Amino acid sequence: MTLAPDAPGRLAIPALIDEATVESIAGEAWIALVGEDEVLVPVPGDLPEDTLSAWVDVVGPWTGSVVLTTGRQTAAELTRALLGDAAPELLDHEDVADAFGEIANVVGGNVKAALPGPSTLGLPEVGAAPTVRNPEDVCRIEVLWRGQPLVVSVQGALPSLPVPHTPHQHPHQNGASQ
Amino acid sequence: MKILVADDSRVMRQIVIRTLRQAGYDDHDIVEAEDGRDAYDKVHAENPDLVLSDWNMPNMTGLECLQALRSAGSAVPFGFVTSEGSAEMRDKASAAGALFLIAKPFTEETFRENLDGVIA
Repeated sequence: MTLAPDAPGRLAIPALIDEATVESIAGEAWIALVGEDEVLVPVPGDLPEDTLSAWVDVVGPWTGSVVLTTGRQTAAELTRALLGDAAPELLDHEDVADAFGEIANVVGGNVKAALPGPSTLGLPEVGAAPTVRNPEDVCRIEVLWRGQPLVVSVQGALPSLPVPHTPHQHPHQNGASQ
Repeated sequence: MKILVADDSRVMRQIVIRTLRQAGYDDHDIVEAEDGRDAYDKVHAENPDLVLSDWNMPNMTGLECLQALRSAGSAVPFGFVTSEGSAEMRDKASAAGALFLIAKPFTEETFRENLDGVIA
């Protein structure tokens, strides 16, 4: 997947990354961070009512968020898996925010690397998922982890795409010679 | 040998420390720092033999920490462990004096490949 150098305007995410790439990025993050046997199964499932999201913002030629959403219980289970032996008996919200946020950070960092740059990555945030602004600027995958549904959404932050305009990249040579 | 692990995520510090152990580097003293500023201060206070630092952190990024350390005359061996491993970031890391950049997600093999020769 390449970005045409003379592409007018801003491209929406489906032109920049596909579901298979996002799935592979998430799958690798899971195996490395959560555990070698922790596969993500590409099967959609219904998210429970009580969900938690973790995301990082990407700002650059494409601007948006990489958002992970799962059930609150599953987020807690993920935290235990990440902490391993270091997991406390009782998890508090800070532990879950830290662990789930860090997974979003790793997935987001790798998504950012697959997008045209230069761009910057924000610090992870945890809470209710940011609203989808433009349904056409979303790349979304649904997977199951330990049988529980999880959604990864790479979604644009702008309300709408600007109308493509004709390129005007002809810098004037206005007498700069010495 | 003393290793300073800097990451604003406590969970990630745990994972880095666990991976160090799994990679066979299990008899070193570990010092933790929770952002770049803390890492900078602890390099002076603790005098570690190696710094393993995240890039993207509040207060002071890992790169700013490394630049500040070099400006202050510290030559402490410094490597990044970060979720962003683009060529651009590797160039920046190297230009600032980092020995290596390990991209997250990483494995114990990645740690061994980068740390053998750095850690005795």
